Amino acid sequence: MKIRLQLPAFITRHVLFALLVGGISGMGFILFLIEFDHYTSSEDFCTSCHSMEIVADPYRQSKHYKPDSGVRASCGDCHVSEGVLSATWDHFIGGKDVINQLKGALIGPDYDDPVVSALHLPEAAFAARSWFKKRDSATCKKCHVKEAIYGTRPDTNKIHLEDAKHKSCIDCHYNLVHRRVPHERTFKRAAWNAMIESEFGLEKGTAKKMMAEND
Amino acid sequence: MKPYLQTSFSVLILLITLLSSTSVLAAKVTVDSSSWGSDEGKACVDCHSKSSAGLTHQWKNSAHAVANVNCLDCHQAYEEDVDAIEHEGSIIATIVSPKDCGRCHTQEFKQQKGSVHTRALTIIKNRMPALSEHFGSPSINDAGCAKCHGSEVKVRGDGTLDPASWPNSGIGRINPDGSVGSCSSCHGRHQFSKAQAREPQACIYCHSGPDSPDKSIYESSRHGIMYEAHKKDMNMDSDQWVVGKDYSAAPTCVTCHMGAAGKMKSTHDVGMRDSWNLNEAVSKQQYLVIFADGSKRELSTSEPIPRRGESISKMDGSMGKVKAVASPKRRRGAMTKVCLECHSKGFSNNAMLQFDNVVELFNEKYGKPAQAIMQQLYSDDLLTPLPFDEPIEVTYWNLWHTSGTMARHGAAMGSPSMTWKGMSEVGSNFYGKFLKQIRGVAGKQKGDALIKKYINDSEHHDWLNHPEKGNPVPGFGQGISHED
Repeated sequence: MKIRLQLPAFITRHVLFALLVGGISGMGFILFLIEFDHYTSSEDFCTSCHSMEIVADPYRQSKHYKPDSGVRASCGDCHVSEGVLSATWDHFIGGKDVINQLKGALIGPDYDDPVVSALHLPEAAFAARSWFKKRDSATCKKCHVKEAIYGTRPDTNKIHLEDAKHKSCIDCHYNLVHRRVPHERTFKRAAWNAMIESEFGLEKGTAKKMMAEND
Repeated sequence: MKPYLQTSFSVLILLITLLSSTSVLAAKVTVDSSSWGSDEGKACVDCHSKSSAGLTHQWKNSAHAVANVNCLDCHQAYEEDVDAIEHEGSIIATIVSPKDCGRCHTQEFKQQKGSVHTRALTIIKNRMPALSEHFGSPSINDAGCAKCHGSEVKVRGDGTLDPASWPNSGIGRINPDGSVGSCSSCHGRHQFSKAQAREPQACIYCHSGPDSPDKSIYESSRHGIMYEAHKKDMNMDSDQWVVGKDYSAAPTCVTCHMGAAGKMKSTHDVGMRDSWNLNEAVSKQQYLVIFADGSKRELSTSEPIPRRGESISKMDGSMGKVKAVASPKRRRGAMTKVCLECHSKGFSNNAMLQFDNVVELFNEKYGKPAQAIMQQLYSDDLLTPLPFDEPIEVTYWNLWHTSGTMARHGAAMGSPSMTWKGMSEVGSNFYGKFLKQIRGVAGKQKGDALIKKYINDSEHHDWLNHPEKGNPVPGFGQGISHED
């Protein structure tokens, strides 16, 4: 006797086929997103744009790149949220940087120019800080556990448990890994411009002109 | 008549100067106590007693802590301040400038603002590199010179302080807020003790070594010896510190240069009582010119005495209206008032006369002729304008600066050994090196002519004209009588 699977009448062969194709491509799409998120979070991918050198260079000198333990945090470990949906969303939002990069190459500002990227660094830093703050430093906490921060000073652990009890990592540690940028509240554009001008040996006022051209 | 003896209106002027001084007590803070003790600042202490326990412990033992003055009362800043940084949610500045301290310590700030100490950097800013960088490099300037004279603190575009200019607590430091000086030069952070600032050690941090050998001078003076023996009786912690009332064991630097004595008030204008400039190639008596805006400058008595209301250049080069002028005689008068708490008038005046005579001697015998010869060598293009590239310039520098300063300061503060050490070094340098180098630079003929004009023909050096005269100086064979 043959056993026949009795499917509801609306499950036609076509429907079955569509479900199969849809299911497989859906899984494929999720797998693709996972792979995509993974790849686009890597240092290799992030630094494929020259404009990223301004953040990549200090990163490569930092403790997050060269820790005693050998546990390296890559770009995405800090700057991309966990979970496929959040990670994809972060990349989607981050896509505007790619657009700006490409647009810049055509009509300016050219972010591959180290002066341009140095001049725009503070705004990028402010955006990154606010990203961390909104997520309550979630990516930091993937690795760092407040209770386990012992530091080099005897009271580092106590400070973290008592004085930083209600603080998010980014509240204090907003100048990690990359080049130091003042807090948004005390940031002075003119002073930043003057510093970049002197670093690149530019004439006074060049930075302001460059910034105006970019707007 | 010497110009500084012109009394004219200088009596009145000194009165103004002195009246602008503070009471015999450390000036009472008149700011209402509700303006400090910020709640936000109390939180600093919890964390800092862990992260920097020593610093916090010092503060806990300070008068500030007792008066409820906390971290943020001093370190608060506005977002727009050039050196403002965000720290744990507060806007602060690392450097607490005299202007910041002056928010409460108004009297002290006012006096300090016009003092010679605040000119410690401006006065030598353009001259400093010649010495520090020719003999060293800019790093010597940052770690040496500027530690006393002060740095011009630079705030970088990323909000950090330029490490070449900070840390620095030099007394003439130019601060990011435009104010000049550093209270912690004398009142060490974070205890800001009165007693510490009254110790000679507070001054010795800078006033020692070749530029200002006052440590060795004070220690080898009667005053310093008494201090060493009676330290425990100095009552340094006393709120009021009037010599003759609160202590008498010995005078420290503060006693004479700043301290309250009798009816004379204490002052944070440290150079106010100095009548001479002892750190120049030729010493001159100095007027103290007080401008309408409270700033001050010294003016040599070789310049015409400025009149009240007249406009003359200030230290920073801008013009200022003269409010008052204190003559060197009046300045000396103020200094002598301190002496009188322990010594008689005659004793004090004679001691001052002995000091003045050494300065005059240095000026006439060495300072002026050496200066005249050097000027001649420069104007005849026998020396390049660049300082210290010719050995005679080094000799000349050591002559008036290093040794000359030692002799003059030694006489000012009663150290016979340092007075003689300085003057004998000046002499050794002058006769042993300088004269030879003049001939080396100018050639024998021209050199001899210069030496004759400025040296041999001067009564001070007349002994050179009598080579036949022997003298039984120990170690020399000539002139010793062999009869006994």
